[in-house]
Amino acid sequence: MRRLHESRVLNMNRLTKLFDKPQMVFTYINSELKRSLFVYRSAMALTQVSSNKCCDGYQKVFEHDSSELKCKMKFAIYLPPKAESSKCPVLYWLSGLTCTEQNFITKAGSQQAASEHGIIVVAPDTSPRGCNIEGEEESWDFGTGAGFYVNATQEPWKTNYRMYSYVTEELPRLINSNFPADPEKMSISGHSMGGHGALICALKNPGKYKSVSAFAPICNPIQCAWGQKAFSGYLGADKSTWELYDATVLAESYSGPELDILIDQGRDDQFLSSSQLLPDNLIAACSKKKIPVVFRLQQGYDHSYYFIFSFINDHIKHHAKYLNA
Amino acid sequence: MDAYEVRGRLDVIEEEEAADEDAFVMVQDSPDVFCGDCGVLTVRGAAAHVSHALVTLAAGAQQMKDQLSKSRSKLSEKIIEMENFASNLEEIFITVEENFGRQEQNLEQHYNEVLQTLSQRNEARAAALDEQKNDKLERLYGQLLRCGQTLDASKELIESAQEVHRRRDKRAFLQAVMPIMKRVEQFAREEVDLKLGASLDFDVPTTDLSDVRQMMESINVLPAPSAPVMNPQIANSATETSLHVCWSLFSDDTVEFYELYWRLISDDCTMETPQEVCQLKVKETHCTVSDLLPNAQYELWVTATNTTGISPASERAVYMTVPSPPVIKARQCVSSLDAALIRWDSGNTNPVESYTLEFQEASADGESTATESIVAIPSCECLVQLQSWKRYIIHIRAVNIGGPSDRSPPLHISTTGTFFHLLEDTAHPSLSLSADGLTMFYLDEDLPISHMTFSDNTFNRCVAVLGDLVPIRGQYYWEMEVDESAEFRVGVAYEDTQRNSYLGGNNTSWCMRHILTPSRHKYEFLHNGWTPDIRITVQPLRIGVFLDYGRGILSFYNAALRQHLYTFSCQFLHYVHPCFALDNPGALTLCTGLTAPPYVAQP
Repeated sequence: MRRLHESRVLNMNRLTKLFDKPQMVFTYINSELKRSLFVYRSAMALTQVSSNKCCDGYQKVFEHDSSELKCKMKFAIYLPPKAESSKCPVLYWLSGLTCTEQNFITKAGSQQAASEHGIIVVAPDTSPRGCNIEGEEESWDFGTGAGFYVNATQEPWKTNYRMYSYVTEELPRLINSNFPADPEKMSISGHSMGGHGALICALKNPGKYKSVSAFAPICNPIQCAWGQKAFSGYLGADKSTWELYDATVLAESYSGPELDILIDQGRDDQFLSSSQLLPDNLIAACSKKKIPVVFRLQQGYDHSYYFIFSFINDHIKHHAKYLNA
Repeated sequence: MDAYEVRGRLDVIEEEEAADEDAFVMVQDSPDVFCGDCGVLTVRGAAAHVSHALVTLAAGAQQMKDQLSKSRSKLSEKIIEMENFASNLEEIFITVEENFGRQEQNLEQHYNEVLQTLSQRNEARAAALDEQKNDKLERLYGQLLRCGQTLDASKELIESAQEVHRRRDKRAFLQAVMPIMKRVEQFAREEVDLKLGASLDFDVPTTDLSDVRQMMESINVLPAPSAPVMNPQIANSATETSLHVCWSLFSDDTVEFYELYWRLISDDCTMETPQEVCQLKVKETHCTVSDLLPNAQYELWVTATNTTGISPASERAVYMTVPSPPVIKARQCVSSLDAALIRWDSGNTNPVESYTLEFQEASADGESTATESIVAIPSCECLVQLQSWKRYIIHIRAVNIGGPSDRSPPLHISTTGTFFHLLEDTAHPSLSLSADGLTMFYLDEDLPISHMTFSDNTFNRCVAVLGDLVPIRGQYYWEMEVDESAEFRVGVAYEDTQRNSYLGGNNTSWCMRHILTPSRHKYEFLHNGWTPDIRITVQPLRIGVFLDYGRGILSFYNAALRQHLYTFSCQFLHYVHPCFALDNPGALTLCTGLTAPPYVAQP
């Protein structure tokens, strides 16, 4: 972008020599400048919202116009110290119900481990914002803040609620072209609804992600209240379409390069006891299909970010093993 | 002419030369060339020296100076020779004096001995004669006494007879005369021994002077040598079966040959008869004795013999043969990336002083590399620090006063991973080990408890066994292969972990446990009886264990998938040992010598 701007400046210098009328030069220069700025903006379309130094790296938040979601979207990105000198692998973190790009970066304490292992951590928002769709603010577990990482097929959601494509296609493209990211080294993780998102992205894209992990994921959405509500809203009544976004079902028919899945689940998680998460089903499916999973039931922990904070280092280490290999 | 005079003469020559130079200078005015042939100064073009070698004065002076200094140096050499000779003579004078002094002493001693012996004999003889005299005198005296007595008695008798004779009374006379007459007649009839009791001659015994004669003769003959002195054992002169013995003679005595004696000193107090003495005739003052036992002490002494006789025996010296080489117990050696613990058998029945461990890098092309040694090892094991990623060859030597033994057969060590073996004496009796010590079986037979031999060191409830590790707080990695149906416990434990409890059930052991239920596989990570709740979907059949003392972690991996299973965080207070147990009949194979894969060792 900068080079583009510079080359235009050079051209302008050459041009001024041709023009003898200063006024014409100025107007010409202005229009040139405007054109270069326009090119700049459309090529990047990223504006930095905030930047804070953290653990020798930088925790930044950017905003951009998303082509998939047809609205402005923010995402958080942590750049480790290593990113100043070389390309780094990327870990995508998908947050859960009601979260934005802020919760993870302020509560999870992931920056220290990311800095040590030299990993870029990208945390997008959980749904499109400001689209003014009717009913999107009604529930906390459907609509705004509850994108469920699917591509909706039903009105009025199908135009904007395309979080699956956003996460698996648009966002990686954006990150790879604007940051020192190694495009071959990506991993994915998430919490609760984000855990569900991480699992299905990995299972639906064999080989795309080097590793996957999750905190208290919704493992079998078609069998739980949350999933049934969301899928019937976004995908309609045909349950066969739901199966395309269910980790347990996808595991049962998975074929691809070997995965290594780490799942942490708080034992005192209220949503576990209210059968929203259903990890046993996923474990059974993975046992049958010999998909390697290590599932840890952590005594005394709940569904909160305190739980994530306690074990985020283990997860980043798990991803680092594959991303830095 | 002595050295000083010679030197004095030389100084004079120098002075003369200087004087001559001055003379040359004075005469310089008229002659201007020097004739090399005649050696005189002359004028150029002089008829007498026409065909001679004429040189300038300067050159001539130089020539003559050179010649002079050469002759001077020859003379100096001669002087030095004579000085040496003179000092040599001085030494010889002194030696001759000494020798003379010694001989004189010797002679004096000899003669004194002879004189002493003679005077002794003399006294003895005189004493004998004296005795004889006394003896004779006594006897004669006795005889004299007896004669006197006899005389007295006779006189008495005669007197009494006369008295009787003079008696007028015829009747009384006749009464008394008969007994007196009888007595007188009896007395007269007695023979008088008039022989001398002792002879007047003295019996002079011949003195035995043969030994004096001998001594006189030996004065002119060489003395028998004095006793030699045994030298202490020279370091590194002995081998396993031979000793190099040396002795010295501290006198100028002539010696024809020596005889060396030796005997094995046995520690065995039960042997009543001493070992037999062997001997050897030797001309030099050293000799090598062979056919000996290794690591044994021998008593040695030596005598010197010449034509006169044999010297007294020297003091006894004790020499020791070198020990036999030890044997390294390969199965009991352990190693890791940066150290090895080597254990060996002494190779000798008796104790040795110490051991030496030698190690060198094994080079690929057979070049010899520097050997490092660790000396003064008191026991049959040694921990040696090595560099990582190399191959080493290790030898052991046993050392005693006699020196070091030959090298033991070598042991090859690779510092590429953790090598260890199982401690068989900790194994529960129901656990049998394969020949190579790396596979353990819990067989499905019901051994009666009476058939099982337990000891203090064996596990007696958990069918378990401990392994060995280099006692260094470093990083270790090993793997295990298990059957699908094997219910096992694998991990680490302190060496003194309770032998009557189950692995993981106490606070001295940490292990991963596999339980097979009818519906699924269950995995526990036990320490102090507690385990986290962990589900694993793919059964690990090849388990990697990583131990890092520095970071205080014990990690378990599915080595086939590179999948991390669980990590204990614990600061180990002592060294830990790998531990293995089978809860049900099955088999478990240990893989050692592996290098920790990169995903394991990275923090």
